[in-house]
Amino acid sequence: MTTAASAGGLRQGRIEHPRRSLFRDRGWAVGLALIAPAFLLMVVLIFAPAVLSLAGTFFPAGAAGASLANYEHFFGDALSVLNLVFTVWTTLATLLVLLVVGLVVAVYLRFSQSRLVAAIQVLSLFPLFVPGIVISFALIRFLGPTGLVPSILKAIGITGYQTPYLHASGAVIGLVWENIPLTVMLLTAGLSQVSNRAIEAARDVGANAAQIFIHIVLPPLTRSIAVVCCLNFLQIFGSFTVPYILGPAAPQMMSIFMQRTFTEVHLADAAETQAAITFLVCLIAGVVYSAIVFRDSAAKGTLAA
Amino acid sequence: MALTLSRRLLIQSAAATALLPLAKVPALAAPTTIDVCTDGDTNISDWWINTLKPAFEKAHPEFSLNIVITRANGGNLTVAQRVVAAKKTSTDAKVDFFEEFDPRELPGAIEAGAFTKVDETVVPNWALLNPLGKAETPFAIPYRASQVLIAYDSAKVKETPKSWAEITAWIKANPGQFIYCRPDKGGSGSHFVMRAVHEANGRDPSLFKPENFDAEKAKKLFAPAWALLNDIQPFLYDKGAYPAGNNPTLQLFAGGAVSMISAWSDQALQGISQGVLPETTKLTQLQDLALSGGFAFSSIPATTVHKEGAAKLADFALSPEMQAKMIADFGAFPGIDWKNLPAELAEKYKAIIPTSMPFFPGGQWEAALVDGWYANVATHLTRS
Repeated sequence: MTTAASAGGLRQGRIEHPRRSLFRDRGWAVGLALIAPAFLLMVVLIFAPAVLSLAGTFFPAGAAGASLANYEHFFGDALSVLNLVFTVWTTLATLLVLLVVGLVVAVYLRFSQSRLVAAIQVLSLFPLFVPGIVISFALIRFLGPTGLVPSILKAIGITGYQTPYLHASGAVIGLVWENIPLTVMLLTAGLSQVSNRAIEAARDVGANAAQIFIHIVLPPLTRSIAVVCCLNFLQIFGSFTVPYILGPAAPQMMSIFMQRTFTEVHLADAAETQAAITFLVCLIAGVVYSAIVFRDSAAKGTLAA
Repeated sequence: MALTLSRRLLIQSAAATALLPLAKVPALAAPTTIDVCTDGDTNISDWWINTLKPAFEKAHPEFSLNIVITRANGGNLTVAQRVVAAKKTSTDAKVDFFEEFDPRELPGAIEAGAFTKVDETVVPNWALLNPLGKAETPFAIPYRASQVLIAYDSAKVKETPKSWAEITAWIKANPGQFIYCRPDKGGSGSHFVMRAVHEANGRDPSLFKPENFDAEKAKKLFAPAWALLNDIQPFLYDKGAYPAGNNPTLQLFAGGAVSMISAWSDQALQGISQGVLPETTKLTQLQDLALSGGFAFSSIPATTVHKEGAAKLADFALSPEMQAKMIADFGAFPGIDWKNLPAELAEKYKAIIPTSMPFFPGGQWEAALVDGWYANVATHLTRS
């Protein structure tokens, strides 16, 4: 925001050449032409099939016209609803843990003078390069009933370890690990907007660490946090491999439930309805994300004009 | 370092490069590629890629095998649907051989003529087959078999369970020490569930046939099996934490988290011989009614343009040498009759050579089984 504002200020101060302004007026056409191929590809390969599929769920096989039968069936089936609730629960739980872990790491990376910063930074990006299936099996070795953690606990005399493997907590741990890089990157980017001067000024007037965090650090970070929540929500809600291997047999995440309904139970209609419901839930996160980004670019636009 | 590239040299070399591919074609009589689809576990696909493929290509240099792993996304059933569609439009489905696909699993496939009928004239080694497998269908080749059995750690399990009653008694007496996997993720789990279904229905596998599926009947026949499985659930590993497949189950066993599991014969034997499973691992089969198993059927799509190559491959896989190798390498039961194999081999595996192999149909029956298990067994978790 600061950079945008100053850039806008600079531009305002400059007398613009008429030709340049003409080009800028036609810029929208050039811009549209440039994005048209990519946009068309998305329409043909993603939007059109998604809309067709979504529309198809309202026209169940055997029914005369449009009907909500598919959805009635989904919401009438306790197992389906349980899976949907479980997916929402897992997603929110993972998001919460991710935010806490991500904030701690990002704040550390932003403010620490320690030599460890570079190492922590590399470490926090590391999951980006590890496929989900690898981390899943690694976590079984690490947290499983006879893994490293219980072995160490046992060696130092702690018993009663309850493994998260094949429990909801197993899926949450795996998903947190997988999504740390994006979270930390976005939050660190947001934190770069917090100026040291503001913090020093607050400290000078006697603010303690908690006050500085709440009143100085957090406010410019809200947008980053909102974006982190939206993007991670989409990522986690649709995740497959990690909850498939580390999570419980039932209830299941929607992605796993869908795959099973389609390939094992051979109910294409039901699987399509599950997909449509998943899509509609994700749409909420998508709309919120778009709203944040649009509001922001709109704000930037006014500044620049 | 003044490398001067004259214009002539440049043109000459460019021309030579352009002609290179043309020059290579007649020099190498390219072998015909046979496309093989497999959706078996890694032990099967590894064996095909690392053992059978080189051996076949050595014996038949005119062919080369392209092994395609179709494990994800519906497996060979999806590919077989493509074959049926291709047959209807008389096109090449671009697949010549299914390592494992039983055409009976795709209703209408045989009627559509999508699969090649096999006998001694097409595949000479057909004559060596185990009569049990040969009798099933002429549209598929029962080239190997495996059965689910009970694997246990003899260091911890003193009395080997010999019947369903004994195994459930053992499970209840030793809470947390037994587990089977989710039935849709691994056969070792689904066959255990099938055994419960058999148990609940007078141990009569003949009630379940590929052609007699009926949703209402299935619901009725399965209900008492869910009761049996729910009854043992609180005594299973972690009060019913079902792993996501054959291998994760073997891992729990190998790590010592449980001391008894249901396992595929081939995977358990391979695990023991490779030292992945504890040395004290023993295998046993229930005597009142064995856990089900079955032949793995190879099949040849009728749409293949390499019919001769596909038949040669089927014949090669049934040769006693390959069959013996299969037993030794990954613990499969042979598709050909034991009497066509060296006697010492039969002696070595005497303890687990199946005398009976109860069958449970795939397709709709299995789909209903999986769906019912999730709704009635897995969901009723009373876990903290």
